[in-house]
Amino acid sequence: MTNLFTETHIHLAEGFSPADQGELVHQVEPSDSIVGPDDLILVTGASGFVGTRVVESLLGRGFRNLRCFVRPSSPTDWLGALSTRGHGAGIEVLKGNLLSREDCAAATRDVALIYHLAAGRGEKSFPDAFMNSVVTTRNLLDASLNHKCLKRFVNISSFTVYTNRQKSRWGLLDETCPVETHSDWRGEAYCFGKVKQDELVTEYGQRFGVPHVIVRPGYVIGPGKTAITGRVGIETFGFFLHMGGSNRIPFTFVENCADAIALAGLKKGVDGEIFNVVDDDLPSSRLFLRLYKRKVRKFRSLYVPHVLSYVLCSLWERYSTWSQGQVPPVFNRGRWFANWKRTDYSNQKLKTRLGWSPRVSMAEGLNRYFEACQNRESNA
Amino acid sequence: MLRVAIVGCGKIADSHVSQIQRIKGCEIVGVCDREPLMARQLCERFPIKQHFSDLEELLSKARPDVVHITTPPESHIELARFCLEAGCHVYLEKPFTLHAEETERLIALAIEKQLKITAGHDDQFSHAARRMRSLIAEGFLGGAPVHLESYYCYELGQSAYASALLGDKRHWVRQLPGKLLQNVISHGIARIAEFISSDSPQVIAYGFRSPFLKKMGETEIIDELRVIVSDEDDTTAYFTFSSQMRPSLHQLRIYGPKNGLIMDHDQETLIKLNGVRYPSYAEKFVPPLDLARQYLRNWTTNLRTFLGRDFHMKSGMKFLSESFYRSITEGAPLPIPYREILLTARIMDAIFIQLNQQDSRDQVGRTAPLHPATTR
Repeated sequence: MTNLFTETHIHLAEGFSPADQGELVHQVEPSDSIVGPDDLILVTGASGFVGTRVVESLLGRGFRNLRCFVRPSSPTDWLGALSTRGHGAGIEVLKGNLLSREDCAAATRDVALIYHLAAGRGEKSFPDAFMNSVVTTRNLLDASLNHKCLKRFVNISSFTVYTNRQKSRWGLLDETCPVETHSDWRGEAYCFGKVKQDELVTEYGQRFGVPHVIVRPGYVIGPGKTAITGRVGIETFGFFLHMGGSNRIPFTFVENCADAIALAGLKKGVDGEIFNVVDDDLPSSRLFLRLYKRKVRKFRSLYVPHVLSYVLCSLWERYSTWSQGQVPPVFNRGRWFANWKRTDYSNQKLKTRLGWSPRVSMAEGLNRYFEACQNRESNA
Repeated sequence: MLRVAIVGCGKIADSHVSQIQRIKGCEIVGVCDREPLMARQLCERFPIKQHFSDLEELLSKARPDVVHITTPPESHIELARFCLEAGCHVYLEKPFTLHAEETERLIALAIEKQLKITAGHDDQFSHAARRMRSLIAEGFLGGAPVHLESYYCYELGQSAYASALLGDKRHWVRQLPGKLLQNVISHGIARIAEFISSDSPQVIAYGFRSPFLKKMGETEIIDELRVIVSDEDDTTAYFTFSSQMRPSLHQLRIYGPKNGLIMDHDQETLIKLNGVRYPSYAEKFVPPLDLARQYLRNWTTNLRTFLGRDFHMKSGMKFLSESFYRSITEGAPLPIPYREILLTARIMDAIFIQLNQQDSRDQVGRTAPLHPATTR
């Protein structure tokens, strides 16, 4: 172990029960799991919004040997919360940087299963997003290849990689939907990073036989995240432009999403598969916005009809090209298709292949999300 | 056709490629990064034919005339030396080198090899900065500058860069002699160096940690800096770097014996300050009107430039690169004189030496309470 790490071992006492004492409705039978309760599991991005819940979900399933990889700047107070619940499990926390091959070697040593949630959003920088999504993933894959004990690499991707340009209105977006071929044209660094990350994982699967599963969550909501997704609209100059209209928004509540991710790593016979994660009973953008205004805060919004938003995106894209990037192509047709075209979503594969079902209903999930947003507003 | 290569495919390389593509008479013949994936991603997003992970291979296969070096600063000296030895002109991103002595060596090598080198002080070539330079050349100040004030601020806590830097004790910026300041202040110091006539001005620096950083338990990084620079011709300058003051300014105020100018980099405005006072109450009514007129004129100039498709965020980089290329192909003067690059490096050296001494004194002060004058 390199001395550059901060290493923490926490042994949890007996008596742990899953997050919020919620019932786990989809346990994996030991005979149906690729790893046993004492096999070492690595979770990268473990202190993140989804990562903490994945750790909880795994502990709730009885896995006792977890290694949590977090950034040096990440808070680890969530571990304290876990330890108060107790479980008799051992959680090892490694602080490090996935850009360091030494750190990756230490993180992947003796690991049977990797949940790779760490990612770089890149803000507006493509190189940043690429480096913190693709280079880090490559380092992690190389390191685990050297150790030769990996049974599965679970790559957390995103809905952002899909394009539904060729689909009809209200067409179904599922795992067979094509991925952006020119992801850089979308003007979204995160999309570019995630598309390239997926390509890399697939390539390692083909070239080196790395067993892997790709999980693509929709927009994850829950306590800890208060932003309104761009699929609903954009806040600009103190005004909210409502773009979604009657579109359904592909939400997944954070605990449901964590369960899906956990199952994708455990279940036998799904290597090489892709799973989209969305909950049932998805609300329309209009309904979501109405509820948000009622339960969190009131603000003015202006609905931009789909035809108009398409024309505006198209004009912006053309002007960006004509002016040689004087304004960056943040609005373009690719983004419009991905975010604002009327689309339907499916979680059928998730249910049939992994036996997943949402632990928290959409109504309850939205309530918890709005409550967290409201608390944040009142504390601001 | 001038053949250009990029070494270092991180964030700033995107700006270089975007601006170079707008310049007629040149082409990017290859990019290089020791991380092959980073070199490849740049090639995939821009129309660039070749990418390399080895500098020697880039130079031998792509055969560039000019190399833009956009790597972290600690690698600048070796990469620039290698490129100059290989017969290439060099555009070296800021900060030019880690120490003034390295800057001297690079410039001497460029002169010896009859090649050219420039520093990435592109902020000095924004539209407003160029208008300011023209006015000064026309004698608007009424003589040599009497005093300058350069503000160069940085909002800590807002960006991913800042959170990565503050959270990671191994971050590369922490390894620089001047840490955060070394990576950020050279634009603001270069603005002063342009108007200081002495080669070794007196520099008095005072740095400290903001309450924001102290609260985070930060013990290495200094994020508040005040500097006085004074040369033998009595031109003086104040330099301010702050992570906390608002607005977060990037501004140069320059005062001559007759008039003054305020150049605001963020707003791309240039305001003339009339040195003549109006009589009595007229001073309270006429200058505000004049300022309003000037701001309106700046607004229309900016709009005109925007409509003319020449108002890119990094338009200064395009102008600097274009001028540098012209100095190579046509023998035009270098856009940044070597003296100015060197002076910038010397002032920065002097600042960091004093900050390190101050930090040592603070350490002594903390452990030896009998010397209260050394504690802050």
